[in-house]
Amino acid sequence: MNKYFISPLLLLLFFVSGITIIHAQDGADLLRKMDQVIFAPKDKQAQVKIMVSSGSKDDKIREAILMQKGADKKIYRYTKPESQAGVATLSLPGDIMWLYMPAFEKPKKISLLAKSQAFTGTDFAYEDIPVLPYSDRYNSKYLKTEGNTFLLELVPNADKSNYSKLVVAIDQKNHYPVRIDYYDKRGSKQKEATYKYIKTGNYWNAEEVTMTDLKKNSQTIIIMSDVKFDQGLPDDLFTVEKFMK
Amino acid sequence: MEKFAKTIYRFRWGIIITVFILTALAGFQVKNLKINSDIISTLPDDDPHASLLKDVGEKFGGNKIGMVILETDDIFKTEVLEHVRQITEMIGLMDGISSVTSLTNILDIRSGEDGLEVGKLIDEYDIPETEEALEELKNKTLSSDLYKGVIVSEDATATIIIFTLLEDADVESVAQAVIEKTTALELPENIYYAGSPMLVTAISDLIAADLIRLIPISFVVIALVLFLGFRSKRGVILPLLTSAVAIIWTMGLMAMAGYHMTMISNNIPILLLAIGSAYAIHVLNRIAQVRESEPERVLIIALTYILPPVALAAVTTMIGFVSFIFGAYLTMIRDFGLFTALGTMFSAILSLVFIPAVVAVLQKKKTNPSINPYKEKRSYLSEFILAPLRILLFKHPWYLFSAWMLLILISAGGIFLIKRNVNIQDYFRPGNPARIAEQIMEKKFGGTKPIFVVFTGDMQNPEVLNTMLRTQEHMQKSPDVLTTQSVADLIVQLSAGLGEGENIPDDQDKIEQLWFLIDGNEMLDRLVTEDLTEGIIISKFISSDDKVKEAFGVYMEKFISENSTEECKIRITGMPFIDVTMSTSLLRSQVGSLSIAIVFVIIIVGLIIRSLFRGLLATIPMVAAIIILFGFMGFAGIPLNIATVLVASVVLGIGIDYSIHVMSNFNFWINFGEDIHKAIEDTIMISGKAIVINVISVTAGFLVLLFSEMVPLQYFGLLIGFSMLASGLAALTLLPVILILINRKHTFQKR
Repeated sequence: MNKYFISPLLLLLFFVSGITIIHAQDGADLLRKMDQVIFAPKDKQAQVKIMVSSGSKDDKIREAILMQKGADKKIYRYTKPESQAGVATLSLPGDIMWLYMPAFEKPKKISLLAKSQAFTGTDFAYEDIPVLPYSDRYNSKYLKTEGNTFLLELVPNADKSNYSKLVVAIDQKNHYPVRIDYYDKRGSKQKEATYKYIKTGNYWNAEEVTMTDLKKNSQTIIIMSDVKFDQGLPDDLFTVEKFMK
Repeated sequence: MEKFAKTIYRFRWGIIITVFILTALAGFQVKNLKINSDIISTLPDDDPHASLLKDVGEKFGGNKIGMVILETDDIFKTEVLEHVRQITEMIGLMDGISSVTSLTNILDIRSGEDGLEVGKLIDEYDIPETEEALEELKNKTLSSDLYKGVIVSEDATATIIIFTLLEDADVESVAQAVIEKTTALELPENIYYAGSPMLVTAISDLIAADLIRLIPISFVVIALVLFLGFRSKRGVILPLLTSAVAIIWTMGLMAMAGYHMTMISNNIPILLLAIGSAYAIHVLNRIAQVRESEPERVLIIALTYILPPVALAAVTTMIGFVSFIFGAYLTMIRDFGLFTALGTMFSAILSLVFIPAVVAVLQKKKTNPSINPYKEKRSYLSEFILAPLRILLFKHPWYLFSAWMLLILISAGGIFLIKRNVNIQDYFRPGNPARIAEQIMEKKFGGTKPIFVVFTGDMQNPEVLNTMLRTQEHMQKSPDVLTTQSVADLIVQLSAGLGEGENIPDDQDKIEQLWFLIDGNEMLDRLVTEDLTEGIIISKFISSDDKVKEAFGVYMEKFISENSTEECKIRITGMPFIDVTMSTSLLRSQVGSLSIAIVFVIIIVGLIIRSLFRGLLATIPMVAAIIILFGFMGFAGIPLNIATVLVASVVLGIGIDYSIHVMSNFNFWINFGEDIHKAIEDTIMISGKAIVINVISVTAGFLVLLFSEMVPLQYFGLLIGFSMLASGLAALTLLPVILILINRKHTFQKR
């Protein structure tokens, strides 16, 4: 019964993005460059809008302010829907999340022990979210060039994956991901993520990410606005005592 | 009448071509006919329980959940868990599947230091291997109400893999794929399938198998009986052709009107085969009796005699079927009544128009016509059965009459022993996997009969959620309710996990914020509506005893009337309540449809033979046959179910034909100026032959249903076959005996 217990939207709290550029046609090299682009900013602040649409159901929309430091420290402060305004989450390394709900006084800790769990009900699975660099999690192989992109095939280097492989299209010039195709264990394409990157200051940033589940015919879109990088967010902001304020 | 026969003779080719074209058109439609084996969809909308159940199915998607049951001596073995993992992964990858839950992927959420710990009960990539680890897992699983009896049986011998179909998935093709792919794994454990999608598919398969297998067998059996009766090609081919055409027209019409084949309507072809051939037998028999040289004359003489009784027989049979439209609870029985009535009409029209037209085309001028057009042709049947019967009737009328009375009296005693049965698992033959699956679910997972308590109100309001919890507690006091599930449970578990106490927070703001943790997941869609104005408690009921179900209904209604408010309206529905209504309605519809049929039959027969008294007499063999039928059901322990409830009216409708033929023939000779002896003698010798052949062919045709995969249809076939024998025998012995006894004085006086 409790398989679906935790909101899939929580997963998105782990989500990151970033940028850089380099040329090379070696798979591993290209993937490392993509990681460098994604994990480049020291910190980031943005308005985030998350829209989940599935079949005949109404779209679910949430809005939050994101504050991020490095790859794995994140705060989301929700502004919409109104009934959940003020709810805040703090994600820390080690798959630990703190949840603050204004109606409850103290923040609560949520430990995600099931790393391989593919959460249903949304189009993002836990393992789709790059908390660790792709080059640490996948063995890559250069496939070919396609338009302005390099195509890489990524095979998970651990057993605990729901995918047989990923195919990533990396922008040739700037090395950010343009598209990632996720293949299930039968080898059928299951999901597709597309990225719209723009340059903000020194960094490339995915201002819009669309994840489509081809089997369920559902879609999740994340839009970022008012993005600011390297604002010097202090470390102690990302502590249990401070994150909800 | 003469004009009618002349018109048929004149347009014989036109008639044949028209029938051919109509059959081709209808045949083209038949391929569009779909099977619907979903009982819930055939529940009537005017029953509040049924309409609420349908509403729940649509709003909360309960009809889209299927289960694979894996049974073995101990689930907690590494290889068994590995098999569970294989099935889980395989189903999860299939098209049309939205989610899968099993022992190997279910989440384990517990209260941890400062908050919640979200893990998995079993790491699917690291299944326990040591005895200690397996024992520990077993103890942990069986000590939790979240798993015990829900996903693994209390005795650890069975586990279920639950899957949800996508909203737009084709239920039967997904269910079929689940079965095929699971079978392909060739696992050593016993594998069964349960849940609505699997059950509906199992029933559909049985319906399709029955249609494919039984119709040809029926054709062969009836052909054989016809051949033995008539010993001519025409006597075999024409009745079968007429029936086949009537079946194609009826099924084509069903397809055109958007109706589906159901577990009841799949016997329409067999029924029409029996009925259609009966009318054709009478028409052909009469044509064969006429000794005339001119084909047109033959038709005129034969049709003049046979049109009224066949038309009358058709009308009375139709009444039997139409009576279901007014008396039955399930819409599939009403549809069955409507289309068998139409099929009967087609059969009669074809027998009276198409057969004479074909005969007119085939008939050559008879070279040696007999002088007496009504003289009976001698045969084995006439010499060794009908002739001795005729003698017996006149020799020992009182003995025969007394024997019938005794039989009726004994049978009447059996009526009180009749049971009712609406349990779905009893629809399957013993040993059928679907039946075993239902039994396992009943024994080890708290039943398969769903109960839903529907709450209308604000689903985030603490009072509403507390009322839900109170209702669940009240339900679980019943020994027949093992588990209940609602959104209130989720809120309580979250609250407890977060260290806020094992209860519903009393502040609505807290509930709204806790919702943050569960919002957007699939489970919620099965418990509350999207606008959060309606929510349900999902539960299952164990007992299949109607009295227990009824008592539970009363127990719940009392609670609901005391707790339902304007802000939190409570209603209850589910299969146990539908079963009770269905069971009660079986009796009501039996009495209702039978009364309607008997009254109409008496009136119509009375009007046609212009004597209400004789109309009444004509129904005596039927009433006798029906009493014997019920007595047989009582003594043999055959229950009244959705199929056997149809038997009495069908028997009345078809069996009355025998009496009508006897009465018409008797009247014909009396009006012809013959005495009672001559009237009875010729009735037995001429109509008797057609009746005996018809009884045997119809009985044999229906007995084919004994090979059906569906238990109610087996009983249906057996009972109709039995009743046909009884009503044929009654028409040929009881009715003539009554006629002899009534008219004896008059006859002797006349003599």
